[in-house]
Amino acid sequence: MLEIATVFDFTRDAVILVVGMTAVLASLGVILCSSPIYSALYLIGHMICLALLFLLYNAEFLAVVQIIVYAGAVMILFLFIIALLGGKKEIQENSFHRSMAFTFVFILLGELCLSATVGPTRQVHGEISAEMFGTAKAIGLELFSKHIIAFELASGLLLVAAVGVICLAKFSFAPLRRRVR
Amino acid sequence: MFASSWLILLFPLLGFIGLSWYGNCIPKKLVGLVGCGTVGASFFMTLVTLSNLLLLPPEERLGQVQTLYQWVSAGSFKLDLAILVDPLSVFMFLIVTGVGFVIHVYSVGYMHDDPEYSRFFAYLNLFIFSMLVLVAAADFFFLIVGWALVGLASYLLIGFWREKPSAVLAARKAFVMNVIGDVGMVIAAFVIFESFGTLSFVDVFTAAPGMFRPNDDTVLLITLLLLVGAFAKSAQLPLHTWLPDAMEGPTPVSALIHAATMVTAGVYLIARCHVLYELAPYTMYFIAGVGIITAIFAGSMAMVQYDIKRVIAYSTMSQLGYMFLAVGLGVYSLGMFHLMTHAFFKALLFLAAGSVIHSLNGEQDIRKMGGLQKVMPVTHMTFLVGALALAGFPLTSGYFSKEAIILSSYHAEMGNIVFWAIAVLAAGMTAFYIFRVYFYTFVGGLRSPGAHPHESPLIMVVPLAVLAGLALLGGLLGPWVDSFLSPVFGRVVEHHHDNLLETIALAAGIGGIATAGLLYMVSKDRMSLIKEAMAPLYDLLSHKYYVDEIYDFLIVKPTKAIGVFMEQKAEREGLDFTVDQIGLQVKEVSRAISLWQSGKVRTYALNMVAGMVTILLFVVFM
Amino acid sequence: MGEQFVLLISASIFCVGTAGFIIRKNPLIMFMSVELMLNSVNFLLVTYSSFLNSLDGQIFALMIMTVAAAEVVVGLAIILTIFRTRHDMDVDHIDVLKG
Repeated sequence: MLEIATVFDFTRDAVILVVGMTAVLASLGVILCSSPIYSALYLIGHMICLALLFLLYNAEFLAVVQIIVYAGAVMILFLFIIALLGGKKEIQENSFHRSMAFTFVFILLGELCLSATVGPTRQVHGEISAEMFGTAKAIGLELFSKHIIAFELASGLLLVAAVGVICLAKFSFAPLRRRVR
Repeated sequence: MFASSWLILLFPLLGFIGLSWYGNCIPKKLVGLVGCGTVGASFFMTLVTLSNLLLLPPEERLGQVQTLYQWVSAGSFKLDLAILVDPLSVFMFLIVTGVGFVIHVYSVGYMHDDPEYSRFFAYLNLFIFSMLVLVAAADFFFLIVGWALVGLASYLLIGFWREKPSAVLAARKAFVMNVIGDVGMVIAAFVIFESFGTLSFVDVFTAAPGMFRPNDDTVLLITLLLLVGAFAKSAQLPLHTWLPDAMEGPTPVSALIHAATMVTAGVYLIARCHVLYELAPYTMYFIAGVGIITAIFAGSMAMVQYDIKRVIAYSTMSQLGYMFLAVGLGVYSLGMFHLMTHAFFKALLFLAAGSVIHSLNGEQDIRKMGGLQKVMPVTHMTFLVGALALAGFPLTSGYFSKEAIILSSYHAEMGNIVFWAIAVLAAGMTAFYIFRVYFYTFVGGLRSPGAHPHESPLIMVVPLAVLAGLALLGGLLGPWVDSFLSPVFGRVVEHHHDNLLETIALAAGIGGIATAGLLYMVSKDRMSLIKEAMAPLYDLLSHKYYVDEIYDFLIVKPTKAIGVFMEQKAEREGLDFTVDQIGLQVKEVSRAISLWQSGKVRTYALNMVAGMVTILLFVVFM
Repeated sequence: MGEQFVLLISASIFCVGTAGFIIRKNPLIMFMSVELMLNSVNFLLVTYSSFLNSLDGQIFALMIMTVAAAEVVVGLAIILTIFRTRHDMDVDHIDVLKG
């Protein structure tokens, strides 16, 4: 008779496997759909998968952030833009460029897989207790003590980005002149 | 006491700056007023300085160095912005500002119709300033600065009518010749600094007698190098070819720069450095020799020229030869005295010639003139005075100065009978050629029917009269000049009296006048007869001894040939080809490379991934 | 699941993102591909944070999310501006910098 813990671990592994594969497939969907609106929907799916994976790896806070920020805010922004610009379909033709791209990407994938054969990682013991790990409280303690400067800089970055976007969107620019050959 | 002497230099500089900045925006009258006024103010300050100097006892008049501030102080090398006020420099101030002022006034009339009136006066003021820097310098450095500046001013003024190619060429020629001299001067200054450790006149001349024995190598080198500058500036053989060509400039310029002041800078230089020259008797002898040869050489050429200004230009060379003879013989104050009288009568001759040219609308050929004595009485009289003074007619200023030099050429320590004979011969030639011009121009009938000569306006005539008075009476200043300058030269010059020699010299002068009269007054047949008999000589003279041609053959042609060769082979097929090919190949290669820069983001991304793959190859397999 | 699996998943997503960036011409989809790549790295950071029992990885992932959000906003604004001036959604036509 299997122990409860073993069953639980097995189930968890299975879920991770399924969700991980789903994420990969969703990402394939993003790049292979000809219409941007489908791509965006696949990307949302991909991000939900990733959020699930985060949960499975004890990162509750990040999972929530992933859902809210990415799948929520960013993707909504994408959808708005698509709605604004019109989701024109794109004809995918076979070309030299495309085959070169696939060649290189497959080599890259092979290389990355080969580099994945590194040995097991040694745990840093006793830094965070198991029940605290990944909670908003733990992240907050860490973020506002050890990484306060990075946090402040990030806030500055967001502010600059906001101002930049307003500038880009508000002021109209003279159309570029096409260079005459 | 002499601090106000700086004002002498300041006024013309201010005039130059003012006229070159604002010359085009102020009325013509004001331009003339500023141009003349600054030089006049400068002349007034010179008079003030002179009276200050005369108040001092003679032995205290030397070495009054007025330092404005220390400009450079680097180790043992010190350079002060200073002027030297002593009898010699004040004497030169007087000539430069005095004659300069008269000529400025004359220019107001002469250049009246020129569209670039203000530029002319700006240049003239620049010249006066430069010349004052030259004579006021208290060390060799500022001497060279002034030396180069007068060269520049001369270049600008010769080429003043810049639309005339011959004027521009003449300006270039003068500049190149002067630069040859400048180089000599600069090297001389280096040698002086090397041996004395200072450039200041006072220090050098105090130290020199204790440092060198007569005819030491160093002192010979220094004096000869300085002489290169002096010869180039004063148009002595063999650097004389620029002076006749310089007559392309406006006539006041010829009078001011190429007769009265700048060309005498060489004489001034030797007089100023007489301490050094006395240590080098060989150089002195050389100077006297070159001077007397130039005198007869230029005099002979002047006898066959038909351009009125060229005749006077050759005459200037010839008279400069006399001055060099005088300073070479060690009778400096006679040289300076002749410099002064020459400034008077030669400026007068040039201005009178300018007046003639002006009234004939630019005609310079004496064959087309004639009979002007009736229409231009003042010009005629003044020209006659100048000619008499130049010919050394008794009681004119030229008589006193030239006669004294001719006598010294025999009686001075280094004088001998050869110098004397040539000097007398040259004096005869002088009288001949100047009266040849006189008879051609003023006597007989007008030979160009279309011309309507007229007397020049008052503003040109008054300077003529002033200069004529000076040319006539300047000789009376002789004793004063001697005593005034004697502290500088350390001795009073001896005046010799030798009735026989004086009479012969006088006879030579009057003989020259008479010959000219006989040849050009009476009949044309006699002249052509003589012309035929002396055809080879005439040819030689009218081609100026072929010196220009010899220089052309020896220096210009080979240089040009080398230039053409270098241009063809080294430049076009060597350097240009290499440089062009480098440029072309780089262009080709970069055109090929620039295909990579497609401007497309996706291509760039592909390239990035390719690079990433390559780097990862190393990471994974190594 | 072990580290090998996590690395494989992450590498796959990253490669998919790369391929998408190269082969697609629509700038919006190219942006999404960039998001994919960023997410793959985020995933790796979070899982390894768990393996190492250290929160640094998660903080890092948080920062990446912040930067990504800012980047997306600015990028989309630029795309919008380009589209407004050119009325064209093909990045291959934007080659002003061609040498």
